[in-house]
Amino acid sequence: MTDRDHKETLTDALDGTISTDGGTATPFETVSQVEESRADRFWTAYDTYVRAPLSIVWGDWRARIGFAIVLCYLLMGTVGTVVIEPTAPAEGPALIQPFETMDYPLGTDDMGRDLFSQVVHSTQEMLKMITAGALFSVTLGTLVGAVAGYKGGWIDTVLSSITDVFINIPGFPLVMVLVAIFEMGENPYMIGILLSVASWSGLARAIRSQVLTLRQESFVESARTMGLPTHVIVSKEIVPPLLPYIVINLTNAARRVIFEAAALYYLGILPFEKLNWGVTLQLAYEAEAHARPQALHWFLVPMAAITGISIGLILLGQSLDRVFNPRVRARHEKTTADEDTLEATTH
Amino acid sequence: MTTTQPHRLQTHEPILELNDVSVTFSMDRGDSRVVDEVTLDIERNEVLGIVGESGSGKSMLASALLDAVVDPGTVSGEITFHPQDEPSVSVLELSKADRQRFRWEQIAMVFQGAMSSFNPVRTIRTHFVETLSAHDDDIETGMKRAAGILEDLYLDPDRVLDSYPHELSGGMKQRALIALSLVLEPEVLVMDEPTAALDLLMQRSIIGLLEEIKTQYDLTIVFITHDLPLVADIADRVAVLYAFEIAELGPTEEILSEPAHPYTRLLLKSTPNLQAPIESMQPVEGAAPDPVNVPEGCSFHPRCPLADETCQANDPDAATVSDRHTADCHHYEAAPGAIPLEPPEMDEIERTPRHHGSAGEPLLSLDGLEVHFETEQKGLGLFGEPETVSAVDGVSLDIYENDVVVLVGESGCGKTTLGKAAIGLQEPTGGTVRYRGQDIYGDDSDVDATDRFSADEIRRALQIVHQDPGSSLNPHHRIRSILEAPLKQWYDDLDGNDRQSRILGLLEHVGMTPADDYIDRYPHQLSGGEQQRVALIRAMLLNPELILADEPISALDVSLRVEMMDLLIQLQETFNTSYLFVSHDLSNARYIAEKTGGRIGVVYLGELVEIGPPEQIIHDPQHPYTRALRWATPQLTYRDDRAQTPPIRTIDIPDPTDPPSGCRYHTRCPEARKVCAQSAPATKSGSDAEGHEVACYRVQDDHDYWEDAPIDDADLD
Amino acid sequence: MVFNNWRIRRVGQAVFTVWAVLTLSFALVRLMPGNPMGAMLVQLEQSGMNPARARELVEARLSVRPDQPIPIAYMNYLTSTLQGDLGQSIASGEPVANEIAQALPWTLFVMSWSLCITFVLGVVIGALMAYWEGGRLDVGLTSWAILMGSIPFYVLAFLLLIFLSYRFGWFPTGGKYVAGTEPGFNLPFISGVMYHAILPVLSMLVASGVASLGMRGNSIRVLGSDYLRVARLRGLSDLTISSQYVARNAMLPMYTTLLINIGEMFGGSVVLEQVFQYKGLGYYLYRAVNIRDYPRMMGGFMVITIAVVIALFIADMTYSMIDPRAGGASNESY
Repeated sequence: MTDRDHKETLTDALDGTISTDGGTATPFETVSQVEESRADRFWTAYDTYVRAPLSIVWGDWRARIGFAIVLCYLLMGTVGTVVIEPTAPAEGPALIQPFETMDYPLGTDDMGRDLFSQVVHSTQEMLKMITAGALFSVTLGTLVGAVAGYKGGWIDTVLSSITDVFINIPGFPLVMVLVAIFEMGENPYMIGILLSVASWSGLARAIRSQVLTLRQESFVESARTMGLPTHVIVSKEIVPPLLPYIVINLTNAARRVIFEAAALYYLGILPFEKLNWGVTLQLAYEAEAHARPQALHWFLVPMAAITGISIGLILLGQSLDRVFNPRVRARHEKTTADEDTLEATTH
Repeated sequence: MTTTQPHRLQTHEPILELNDVSVTFSMDRGDSRVVDEVTLDIERNEVLGIVGESGSGKSMLASALLDAVVDPGTVSGEITFHPQDEPSVSVLELSKADRQRFRWEQIAMVFQGAMSSFNPVRTIRTHFVETLSAHDDDIETGMKRAAGILEDLYLDPDRVLDSYPHELSGGMKQRALIALSLVLEPEVLVMDEPTAALDLLMQRSIIGLLEEIKTQYDLTIVFITHDLPLVADIADRVAVLYAFEIAELGPTEEILSEPAHPYTRLLLKSTPNLQAPIESMQPVEGAAPDPVNVPEGCSFHPRCPLADETCQANDPDAATVSDRHTADCHHYEAAPGAIPLEPPEMDEIERTPRHHGSAGEPLLSLDGLEVHFETEQKGLGLFGEPETVSAVDGVSLDIYENDVVVLVGESGCGKTTLGKAAIGLQEPTGGTVRYRGQDIYGDDSDVDATDRFSADEIRRALQIVHQDPGSSLNPHHRIRSILEAPLKQWYDDLDGNDRQSRILGLLEHVGMTPADDYIDRYPHQLSGGEQQRVALIRAMLLNPELILADEPISALDVSLRVEMMDLLIQLQETFNTSYLFVSHDLSNARYIAEKTGGRIGVVYLGELVEIGPPEQIIHDPQHPYTRALRWATPQLTYRDDRAQTPPIRTIDIPDPTDPPSGCRYHTRCPEARKVCAQSAPATKSGSDAEGHEVACYRVQDDHDYWEDAPIDDADLD
Repeated sequence: MVFNNWRIRRVGQAVFTVWAVLTLSFALVRLMPGNPMGAMLVQLEQSGMNPARARELVEARLSVRPDQPIPIAYMNYLTSTLQGDLGQSIASGEPVANEIAQALPWTLFVMSWSLCITFVLGVVIGALMAYWEGGRLDVGLTSWAILMGSIPFYVLAFLLLIFLSYRFGWFPTGGKYVAGTEPGFNLPFISGVMYHAILPVLSMLVASGVASLGMRGNSIRVLGSDYLRVARLRGLSDLTISSQYVARNAMLPMYTTLLINIGEMFGGSVVLEQVFQYKGLGYYLYRAVNIRDYPRMMGGFMVITIAVVIALFIADMTYSMIDPRAGGASNESY
């Protein structure tokens, strides 16, 4: 392209008046060499958003286990409630041991209620709480942190001060007091959100400091220089690097909601009509199940249910981190060249 | 300081003998040999320079000398150390305890990363004390010795020893590290890129100090670097490393003037410097090989213009060029003819003449530009007394159409801030920036509404290319979406296919072929040079009027720099763009400015102290600071002025939160007189050359300065 | 220790938080719909008290007078709270401040032990994992740490209670000290106190799982650092390197984990003390909420929050003494 004659056409082309006949030799005007069809684009999108993430998740044992566990709980909360009948007092004999009979695979409590059915039927409520609580705290935390970090100035000062206050307040006692004062109903979404009323603050502080760093990155400055609008910069340049972090926090927030909800039900602070893991714990405790060897499983079943979903979420969170790593992605996407760049061992 | 030919070897006895030394790493992709059967003698009291590009194995070779290669690397071969008045030892066969004594007592090492070579939670003094006690040395006499070395390195021992690492500047840390390596009085000092992260002046000053230290402490120095001109300034002999082997070894003078290996010759030609005509500078084609995939035969043959079948089949042995000069090449005798160091005979290359001054409206006009930062006080800043850093202070500069201005200065002098303020990225605290007469920061009421440019037009007209290509591309996006972003924003009429072909065309244009392979890659799958090309294309897509190129080549390997600069220049001509370059390297500045007919501006502590055509700035600098920079720039010819005292008073740059009064340079200026500390000189014409302006009393023949008394060092404390 | 800007700001932040918590408590009691005052009145009237007497009692116990304009009520509330008047318990009629003063030391006792042991355990285990990175010990301990992180502390508390107390009878099933011993500096009492605290403290150690994973990551990073390489070349002893280089630098980021643990452990004390019937501040708060004794509830909440604020403040101050880089902007080149 040293030919001076081409210069005018070049700049013209860049000014936006592009000729589509594809006849000339400048690099900007050869339009139709590579025609990309709708189908091509679909397959690229499929490869990027579906196949590659699945392939990454499948390549890691932790992810496989975590994925399987979480899937189990999801099935319990949806299909399970249809397939498994809800239990009622005196449905079976009292205190049947687990694995004794297939009618009551996890045994029964001292009123003859099927524990397996209890576990399955409380899953849905728990999942609703988890979803609401985790989404609430992560959304609010990300939003507050990102705005404070990106906007700066007095907005940052105000938001950071509020964040600092919430970081200093222990969450569980605050929730307890709020529940006592507001006399919560039974809406699981509301409970989930209430449980997360203080927990967004840690994420907000972390996101803020990351955004402060990202804002200084050259690629963000380049985007500003190119005149891209703020919403594009935030959604395309700032958020993607934060995603792994947000996902890990999403699973952590979910675990916290489960732990705290079960604890509040166990303490009898949240009102209940239906049974759930925490309520089962409370009933077992009040029936002194911890002191009676034959009632031990009554305690163990809800505890296992709580611990199980927590392990699943931890493993899933750790492996989802990899899905957002471009280096890992590149290895799993077919459209990207397969070779690794030279990673020099000598420096 | 020795006065008699410091480059001559005093003795001819080796202190270290290397025999077939290899370093091997086992990796998934196969064994990778990052040092390949190197045989080399290091002579007592010499300075041996080892030069190689990144990934040539030079750091591994350095570590091997102390048997300190990191796991899982293994060293094989034989390394023999001949201490003075003691029996020789085989380094690779030492017991653990002996090796612990051998290191630092006999051979010490200075790493590249001085910034991270100190434990961040302990004071510098602790580092000295624990080293002494680990080697059962007497602490008191040892610390006295340490204080002495620190003073020799122009550091205040008490102050430095009581500091934590983060309280010291980079240059101070580097010198403290050198002192730490000398505290046990070793015989050999291995230095791995000891000045890579430092500014020119600091770099040159440390090189000067090394020469003094070497004589004073009776040292043998192995100096490892990627920077050929730098090593030319200090080394007695130079070893050139290519693809994990020594390609050429000989006395510095011969390596510089009559190199025998084609690689050395090409490397010399690709290195920008201040003397050689710019027409002779040419890039080395191709790239260095991967350690698992070194070519058969001579490893350089794929890039070598002289390569033939012999080179493809047989690995050459070291051929004797002259007495102490060897080259691993089958065709070393033909190399000088085939690759001349002088520029090819050709017609005078036409340089586009630029018009400054009165000719035409300036494209961009800076007037009294000031950028002051208040040091950040987070949270409730009620009690803090914020300190002000004047990053840019009263700079006026006009940039015309098709103009090129290169700003040169030490890091922290405000040159990047100045550039960013000029293209609308950093709001100034004073002064104006006008784009074709219109203030880009807001107030444009004095311009006719009809002639007014919209904010979008101005934004598109002023673009940037960053220093670090790795961080200027978002690692989460493919090249396609990185380059599509500006097109989507500004060219509504293009559909996906049009955008794609435009991107493909540009990728091919900058030599990234096959383009449809590159377009789907992520940034980490590109080399540094390729990343920089993508960043460059992205800026060019908006068809800007001015591009701020912020040290666009300093992150690249030496042999790639000329190529990248040529591409920048070529794109400028293609796109009719003006450049505002920022550089810390006078050689690169000269290459760009001379090749485009642009100007060089010298920035010191936020002020533009001298600006003019490269011929004046390089060959006839008027400002004492420009002279210091020129002195600090390593040169490719053998210099006789190596021992010359530095043309600066102090090595360290003053605290920018409290800049000196009057002329800011007076604290370091050897020419400073009393008046310089009292008032700052105005900018005056520096020579007959057009556009040559200097802010120094010394260009004003009738100024009171000449009657004034010189400042002595006591005045400055 | 110089009181620089950063430290002054940190004090300001702590004071601001305490103020915010006090104001929040006031707002909850006074302004919220279905407010505690109303609830208390209803409670008392239902128990057969005449309305005027009930109102009097509520005003006295909550130290809030509904007929006062809000700003004046707010000022009165702030003054009395800052003077240590937290109102009187509905259930017992005792000043809440006195009751809390009785309960608080027990919680502090258990929490400080839990924190210390968690921290030490996390550091030691994390360092071991990092030292044998990739080995069998590392894999085993990592799985252990993940498991620990997945278990809520109260689940571990139940397990310990069921097996060690009820099944094997090794530990008491509840209480704070051996009944019948004389509180004071005598051996039977102190050893009894220790004995009763073991299970609560052990339950809180689940937090060491996450802590050890953090320590492992930090140690591996430090092991790969330049300054460690230089220290080895300088011939420093293994002891110096592991204590002054690896451990010290790897422990500094653990401080964030510590901060999070402080808040979570104090919050968790409510459940923990209920499980073990350990009558400290957490148990006090639990009982108050269960019987809706609002003065106790708000007092307990305020004190527990202020305890956390003070603990975090102390942690911040200590940290800035350990790490020379902490406390505001670094001072490049003097």
